[in-house]
Amino acid sequence: MTRADPTRAQQGGLRIERLSFGYAGGRPVIRDLNLEVRAGQVHCVLGPSGCGKTTLLRLVAGLERLDRGAIAIGGRTVADERLHTPPERRSVGMVFQDHALFPNLSVRKNVLFGMRRHRRSTRRAAAEQLLEQVGMAPFADRMPHTLSGGQQQRVALARALASDPSVMLLDEPFSNLDAELRADLRRGLLAVLRRANVATLMVTHDPAEADAVADQVTWLGPSPVKTESRVDPRPAHTDTVVHAPQTRATGSQA
Amino acid sequence: MTNPVRIRRISPWLAASVVVSLVVVVPVGVVVASVFRDSHGAWAHLVETRLADYAVNTLILAVAVGALALALGVPTAWVVTMYRFPASRVLAWGLMLPLAMPAYVAAYALTDMFQFSGPVQTWLRHATGLEAGAYWFPEVRSMSGAIIVLGFALYPYVYFAARTAFLGQSRSAFEASRTLGRGPTRTFVTLAIPQARPYLVAAAMLVLMETVSDFGAVDYCAVDTFATGIYRTWFGLDSQNAAAQLSSVLLVCVCVLIAVERGSRRHKVFHHTTARCSASPVARLGPAAGLATSVACCMPIVIGFVLPASRLAYLAWQHGDQRAFELFADHAARTFLLAAVSGVGAVALAVVVVYAWRLHRGTVARLIVDVCRSGYALPGPIVAIGVVVALGWVDHRVHGFATWASDGAVTPGLIFTGSALALLIGYQTRFLAIALAFVEGGFARVHRHLDDAARTLGAKPARVLVRLHVPALRSSLIAAGLLVFVDVVKELPATLMLRPFNFDTLAVRVYQLATDERLHEASTGALAIVAVGILPVAILSRQVESSRLRVAEVPA
Repeated sequence: MTRADPTRAQQGGLRIERLSFGYAGGRPVIRDLNLEVRAGQVHCVLGPSGCGKTTLLRLVAGLERLDRGAIAIGGRTVADERLHTPPERRSVGMVFQDHALFPNLSVRKNVLFGMRRHRRSTRRAAAEQLLEQVGMAPFADRMPHTLSGGQQQRVALARALASDPSVMLLDEPFSNLDAELRADLRRGLLAVLRRANVATLMVTHDPAEADAVADQVTWLGPSPVKTESRVDPRPAHTDTVVHAPQTRATGSQA
Repeated sequence: MTNPVRIRRISPWLAASVVVSLVVVVPVGVVVASVFRDSHGAWAHLVETRLADYAVNTLILAVAVGALALALGVPTAWVVTMYRFPASRVLAWGLMLPLAMPAYVAAYALTDMFQFSGPVQTWLRHATGLEAGAYWFPEVRSMSGAIIVLGFALYPYVYFAARTAFLGQSRSAFEASRTLGRGPTRTFVTLAIPQARPYLVAAAMLVLMETVSDFGAVDYCAVDTFATGIYRTWFGLDSQNAAAQLSSVLLVCVCVLIAVERGSRRHKVFHHTTARCSASPVARLGPAAGLATSVACCMPIVIGFVLPASRLAYLAWQHGDQRAFELFADHAARTFLLAAVSGVGAVALAVVVVYAWRLHRGTVARLIVDVCRSGYALPGPIVAIGVVVALGWVDHRVHGFATWASDGAVTPGLIFTGSALALLIGYQTRFLAIALAFVEGGFARVHRHLDDAARTLGAKPARVLVRLHVPALRSSLIAAGLLVFVDVVKELPATLMLRPFNFDTLAVRVYQLATDERLHEASTGALAIVAVGILPVAILSRQVESSRLRVAEVPA
């Protein structure tokens, strides 16, 4: 499990500079985007569907190759015009919109999947602890399809945290959930993320949701990108100002 | 309040489906019953001389062909599904093409190509100046030749199943695996393969069943398996009983395969919790890796289809069937008529069986569906011997009755055994399962509430079927009919053993010409069979694509 790590906080979790990307044959989806998320911060990317939000997460994860610009994780450049670090070597955790749990593995084995370093018994204990944190310990031996949407979301989060990532990517994590559950999970999620002290980039189309969880919000859409720092709590995290001249909306991705 | 009246009446649909199931039950019953009959020493002779050979050869062949089919089918399905590279879309379709090439036809064409007097060896001698016998060259007509021919002919079953499985798997789960630190190869091995296992086991079992029941290719390659043994025992040793007893040994093997397949399906079906499957774009390979992948994926198509087909085309163009107009046209017309009748018949019977199951549910109806479905696992020689023995029994009874009733004035002789009816029944035994699969799939898509609505509006079951289901199922029914049609055109062993005198189909004519070493003449008929065989490739490719859509529609 991740503990508060002072060096990581200093290095800054995620830094994106002048990022541009377009799918082959299509118009650019993201143009000249700048963005920085520090460890322990939650940064929300807000925008209508099709504006490139999910694409942004996929670029950070290394599931797509950028056209121009650079992405640095934990102070190390993982992608620029010449360099492409594959996803498995980037130290990111991603919670997919559909949770993407492995259907052939139990909840526990899903969480264990990304842990490879320590001894077997240590790994099992860590997995147990993570499941405890997200409140899924009693379901460790269940198969994913027997879980509700909210439960799957929590397992997906535990699984992403298990590989001890520097950056956490959340793709509409609360969509497909009802309102009550949503508020509940949101609180739990934030608590877990802050404890893990990772830089979190979260994508949503719901301004209210962004408002509820984010330290910073970037608006990605047809109009020029606006980044706004929240006025309230956590003064340590609110000094970043992010500028990105323009992005264009296209309909080329989900 | 009056007591509800329980009416016990046998449903005509259920009764009809029981009758339909006889086409499978009777041949199997006959073969099993043969164990208890006397073969006048023929069986003992077989056990002493040939049985061990048959068993060992069949086993080696099955294991090697199964392994080769998996090695060819699974990796190709994976790269075609997960990556974009030059010609990947064409290859996704093209990798199914060898399905159009019956193994025996491939064996003939490849033999012609690589034999001593064939173009390859001739060129080799010409180019190197080597004398005959001064060099070693692989022999197609051998065990390894049979393995290669069958492996390349049958791998599309594995490819098809693997591709369907991979398309149905969640791509975001693979991406999750990548972000969790596992590279593409490890993801393939630790996630994709285990999830696809039930599909792969089923496909491998299908390959094994096709291998043990193959007659044409192994016969030509001079490999003695159970299938050729049954034929030889019947026509060479002239002992139907011993042939049937040999069949029952093979039947046991097939039953084991079915049990393995069922078992693996029951325990390991994974329920996906995700909806987005192929919505996200697939990865693009770099130029060098892309080109290498393209070339590697071409190899199975070239060996399994392009080489034999082009050789046949060349032979047909150069020589062809010398009696094309008088004989070939005749054979083709007869074959297509037989296939069309079988196709329509199989669809009709399948509709009866599936509709009875839909109306009544229940154990009996389910059992009948299962029985009819298992017919496909019956090797052609077993079907042939089962049908002939059963019809022979009927013939004798009819003959006896007619003679007795007319005081010897009417002696009908054997009416059914030597008629085309035997062929038609045999085809139903073997291919009803194919029609069944499509018809069942079609019915499953028509919501039961529609039946209920129609019934409450006063329509009887038959009317519901005709007015509601048949129009809704039209494309499934057509696909089912076409697949049966094509399989009948290709079917060799059952046809060879069941056909009436002077009643040859294309497949039989090709077989006879090829075994007479008149390959160039056989080419015309073989080419016609291959051309017809391309139909199901198109149908199955479309089915894969639509399965991709269906999976994508499932809600989270």
